[in-house]
Amino acid sequence: MVEELYKNINGNYEEALSRMQNDERIKKFLGFFLADTSYNELKSAMESKSLDDAFRAAHTLKGVCKNMAFTALSIVAEAITEELRAHNFEKAEEIFPSVTNEYNIVITEINKIM
Amino acid sequence: MNKSTLLIADDVLINRELLKDIFEEGYNILEAADGEETIKQIDKHKDEIVLVFLDLVMPKKDGLEVMHHMSINGLIDKIPVIMITGEATVETDVKAYEYGAADIIYKPFEPAVVRRRAKNIIELYKHRIYIEKELETRTKELFESRKKIEESNEFLINALSSVVEFRSLESGEHIQRVKDFTRIMLKHYKMLHRESNITDEQIELMVNASALHDIGKIAIPDSILNKPGRLTDEEYEEMKKHTIYGCQMLEKFKQEENEFYQYCYDICRHHHERHDGRGYPDKLKGDEIPIWAQVVSIVDVYDALVNKRVYKDAIPIDEAVTMIHEGKCGVFSPMILECFDSAKEDLVIATNKHLGK
Repeated sequence: MVEELYKNINGNYEEALSRMQNDERIKKFLGFFLADTSYNELKSAMESKSLDDAFRAAHTLKGVCKNMAFTALSIVAEAITEELRAHNFEKAEEIFPSVTNEYNIVITEINKIM
Repeated sequence: MNKSTLLIADDVLINRELLKDIFEEGYNILEAADGEETIKQIDKHKDEIVLVFLDLVMPKKDGLEVMHHMSINGLIDKIPVIMITGEATVETDVKAYEYGAADIIYKPFEPAVVRRRAKNIIELYKHRIYIEKELETRTKELFESRKKIEESNEFLINALSSVVEFRSLESGEHIQRVKDFTRIMLKHYKMLHRESNITDEQIELMVNASALHDIGKIAIPDSILNKPGRLTDEEYEEMKKHTIYGCQMLEKFKQEENEFYQYCYDICRHHHERHDGRGYPDKLKGDEIPIWAQVVSIVDVYDALVNKRVYKDAIPIDEAVTMIHEGKCGVFSPMILECFDSAKEDLVIATNKHLGK
């Protein structure tokens, strides 16, 4: 079930397993991810065009995704983090829809198994 | 044994939980979700925390500010900090180390690596703190035993010097006064002659050596040493030999390269030399006479003047100072007279103290 989820979201199940030991634990952390606010913070910062807040939120989201081994989402999160770090807000705006897209896929899949 | 305490400071629950999973078994875990809370936890539990995992980017105060707080409070050397960061950029790494981080780990965490690094760092700091404490204790012990040795040395020197005093009945506290006056003169010498690089330690050695200046008098017969009234020429010649007798005694215990021995020897032998070369026993003149011997020479004369002796009454301090300046009681170098002038007030105070005034 959890392995299936990682396949559907383009994540790395083996990596997640090595970090969290078993599916039970991974499920616990998937639950934490649902409660994590960094995506929503990023979204509102992008909308209000506040670059610093956007950078901070993207940076946090990236770290979380890396730890969760959400490969696809962490790649776009890293991309937007780097644009924001370099103060390229327009480039970041171009990337943001794909962040949203990948994020929604992850959330949908997690909700399915919860 | 009580479990050691770890502080995990990260604003993201998932990151904290992951680290908690890794360390929960072996440690008490404290958590903080922002910089201010981190500082509060550190201040409250500084004696229990053995390691802090510190996220760089946190609300309220960031990781660098937390480390800054730790440095100000002297905690950064006691509690190791492992910086957690999302990526390896040279900039943040260098900064983290500058602020005193013990190590840096990157997300995503590798449990085995994180566990091993944490263990190594905790042990390293424990060991370091232990070594520092040990060193402190040893230094203290060494200092104390050295002080004891110095005290016993001084005791032995005083005892030895008083043998002569005891025999010549009248000089009483002469040795103690010579020591005090010598110290005063040398302090002024040091002040006026920075270029000499004389240290306080050297001054104390010279002061102790000054106690032995008349040690050779032990070999002078009572009939001469305690004779009231003028000595005959022959008796005077014998009396002068106390400088040589003193050195002969010291030579039996000669310590090569020993500074203290050298001061003792020079003072015993040369405290009756004169600047113009007309003193004894070696007729040294000017700079040939070591400073320490010149100092003891002038304070010996000064003390003889202001105190009563078998052959003379006490002379008022002011008069004694004038007599020394006018060359009525020996000839001293301009340099030593300059020190004597500078030291005059201090000498007067010390003299009155000794005279019980």
